[in-house]
Amino acid sequence: MALRFMPCAARRTGAMRRREFVALFGGAAAWMTPARAQRLAMPVIGYLGSESPEPYASRLKAFREGLAETGYIAGRNVAIEFRWAEGQYRQLPALATELVNRQVTVIVAPGGAEVALAAKSATRTIPIVFEMGGDPIALGVVGSLSRPGGNLTGVSSLSVEASLKRLEFMHELFPANRVFAVAANPTSPTSNSQLANLHAGASSLGLQLRILNASTEQEFEAVFAAVAGMQAGGLVFTSDPYFAYRSGQLAALAARHGVPAITQSRDFPVAGGLMSYGGDFDQSHRHAGMYAGRILKGERPADLAVQRVTKVELFINLKAAKALGIAFPPSILSSADAVIE
Amino acid sequence: MVTHSPVAQRTSLFTKYFLALFAAVVVPLLIAGGSEAWFGYHDQRARLNDLLGAEARSAASKIQDFMEGIRDQLGWTVQLPWSDAADERRRLDALRLMRQVPAVVSLSLIDAAGRERLFVSRIGLNRVEGGDDQSANPAVIGARRNRVWFGPVTFYRGSEPYMTIAVAGNRSAVGVTVAEINLKFIWDVVSAIHVGKTGEAFVLDQPGRLVAHPDISLVLRADEAATWPLKALRAAILARPGQAVAGVDIAGNTVLAAMAPIPGVDWSVIVKQPVAEAFGPIHAALWRTGALLIGGAALAALLAYWLTQRMIGPIRLLEDGVARIGAGQFDHRIDLATGDEFERVATRFNEMAGELAVSQEHAERISRLRRFLAPQVAELVDRTGDDSVLEGRRVEVVVVFCDLRGFTAFSAREEPETIMGVLGEYYDALQRVIGAHEATLTSFSGDGVMVLVNAPVSCPDPALRAVRMASDMQTSVQTLLVGWRALDHRLGFGVGLAMGPATVGRIGSEGRLDYTAIGNVVNLASRLCSSAEDSEILIDRVAAQAIGSRVPLVELDPRSLKGFDQPVPVFAAIIGAGQ
Repeated sequence: MALRFMPCAARRTGAMRRREFVALFGGAAAWMTPARAQRLAMPVIGYLGSESPEPYASRLKAFREGLAETGYIAGRNVAIEFRWAEGQYRQLPALATELVNRQVTVIVAPGGAEVALAAKSATRTIPIVFEMGGDPIALGVVGSLSRPGGNLTGVSSLSVEASLKRLEFMHELFPANRVFAVAANPTSPTSNSQLANLHAGASSLGLQLRILNASTEQEFEAVFAAVAGMQAGGLVFTSDPYFAYRSGQLAALAARHGVPAITQSRDFPVAGGLMSYGGDFDQSHRHAGMYAGRILKGERPADLAVQRVTKVELFINLKAAKALGIAFPPSILSSADAVIE
Repeated sequence: MVTHSPVAQRTSLFTKYFLALFAAVVVPLLIAGGSEAWFGYHDQRARLNDLLGAEARSAASKIQDFMEGIRDQLGWTVQLPWSDAADERRRLDALRLMRQVPAVVSLSLIDAAGRERLFVSRIGLNRVEGGDDQSANPAVIGARRNRVWFGPVTFYRGSEPYMTIAVAGNRSAVGVTVAEINLKFIWDVVSAIHVGKTGEAFVLDQPGRLVAHPDISLVLRADEAATWPLKALRAAILARPGQAVAGVDIAGNTVLAAMAPIPGVDWSVIVKQPVAEAFGPIHAALWRTGALLIGGAALAALLAYWLTQRMIGPIRLLEDGVARIGAGQFDHRIDLATGDEFERVATRFNEMAGELAVSQEHAERISRLRRFLAPQVAELVDRTGDDSVLEGRRVEVVVVFCDLRGFTAFSAREEPETIMGVLGEYYDALQRVIGAHEATLTSFSGDGVMVLVNAPVSCPDPALRAVRMASDMQTSVQTLLVGWRALDHRLGFGVGLAMGPATVGRIGSEGRLDYTAIGNVVNLASRLCSSAEDSEILIDRVAAQAIGSRVPLVELDPRSLKGFDQPVPVFAAIIGAGQ
């Protein structure tokens, strides 16, 4: 339109200055650029991550797969805007607010209750898809699984509920031991409930627990050193994303200190740790991607029930066991979903 | 006369042709299309009944296979009798089963006494030799009675569908295994079922709650109000067993649905396909018919236009020709060579124009002849179609002159109306007499009249005919004179006739033609008339000799007449004689 009128206008006024002409032409050309128009129309996903992109890589892959199942490919018909807290969980609310100010179409808050709660406190209007290991009702993220209401929905990976099972597997591995060490992150919102759960389980199994706190990477060394010093059968990690995203580091420390340990994430045995038991993060992140896609298509988060993953997986590493001088009993071998040799 | 608007005529013809052709093309198409649609719809409906029914049965068997698969796996755990001691083998078997069947969330093994001997779970702690009394558990009771027991669907925390399956062995010593099943796993089965392009399957339990649906979040909502349309769909199918039924799904789309039961669990699998897709082929056929109808109508319109154009041209030519002929242009000919009825009509018009021209010429000639010939003579000449009688020739004629005496003085004295009135009566009387005697009136001039007998048509005994005519003239005019004298018009009437050869024929130009005679006999007759007294008829010798004694004549003294050297012998007829 502007382009068509412009030459007429130029002819009519005659004296139109070159600068004005160029400005008008440039404006018109920019308006017409299809790529720009498409970019403007493209929905934007605000992705709030508690860590940096590297530990999230496998989760992001699953998320993108889920998104693709609903027909969205990042960069083609949807843009993803990332905000990384780099392990500084206190940064999360500010980053969430940034995404809200950026007016993204939907916020994806994967990797734990802290991320979901930070997003929740930042907006009541922009839809939020969370992914967490804990119980979203107990953590006050949603009021109901079947009808989340409000602007949130998401996926729970059951990892928090399964922390008791990790103690059981460790006990299965060391049936003679009565004492086990437990690593907990006191800053985690699920920490207290998990510890209470573990204590209840330990008493029914006739076991004693030694609780070791770690909320920063610097404290990991001390935890492993403490376990090596005490007569504990092994170290059970409570479910916590801070631990989960540092599986490689934990595996290295466990090997160095010769501590048999179990965590929630398969990344741990894959990185050389002994074993893991927890929800399948592939499934939870893929479902989160599917929900994000459905919301982009116009569905309301209030209508999408919170999903719980169906798969809780046991990974064991035979090499690590060998290094520790342990042999897995048949009950664990037969239960393992994956055995790393 | 021919003043119809050509546009109006064209419109009406066009409409008629269009309607006729439209009916000819479109009505059969409509009937064919309508019957195709009708039968197609019924065939497709029957086909869809079969198809959707088969899909529903297939889906039901897939879901049944899923449930049977779990039951079969559970069957391994109830094959050996329990001993009193803890059984590590069974624990391993239970763990392996959990590994093998992901849908099993937890497993309780119950011995013959109804005590729980083993419990394994994916989330909770396992229990060995828990010893809880489970004999009152409905699952245990049900399995003991029927070997297998399927519990009702429960929604964990109001969201995830779960179900208890209990299996008993073939004797009570092997106990019962009770498994908690996560029904979300049916999603893998249900989401793999596709009917047509977008058709899908879902599962309702006996009370009508959604157990499985390709959209898992719909199941997790566990909202009976939201899934009410699906329940209504099932009710509609149950009302017409074995039939696919049209209804509305959750999204408000009209769908065609069929159902198959899953025995054992007492669920229903319903497959649905959007009606638009199910009847897609019929819609395509309808579109084809519609396109044919439009094409047919366009063809009919084109044909109508072409035919009308072919009609309008000749009709215009005919119309124009008829208008010209009607206006008297009889030499106009309609030039049409269409080779059809139009050409024949044109030929007829052309023939009619020719005949009209002939008949007009005829009428014109008659009217021309009538001016100087007696009507009978004129008719005769015209009937023979031969003008040659009017051509110049020399024949023996009798020339009769007559005029009024004292007319010049009368006309000087009287008013023109009176004069014309007198002349009118006078000529009427003379014309009747001349006509009666089939003589030829050649000219009027004032009160003088010249009449020929034996020309142009010859007659027997012209002299006698002439003298009788003269006598009748006298009788008629004298009667008039009696009346006129009473009005004090002092007039008289004299007649002179002579017989002899004269040249007769048409003289004058195209616009005005007269028939007359030229010769001495004309002069003689004129002079005799001039010398005749009132009520006198003077006759020359030739005529008198021709008459002989058939009319009494009186020979008068020869008279000197102007233009004649010698005195001319003159005879007078006695009025009233020979009548």
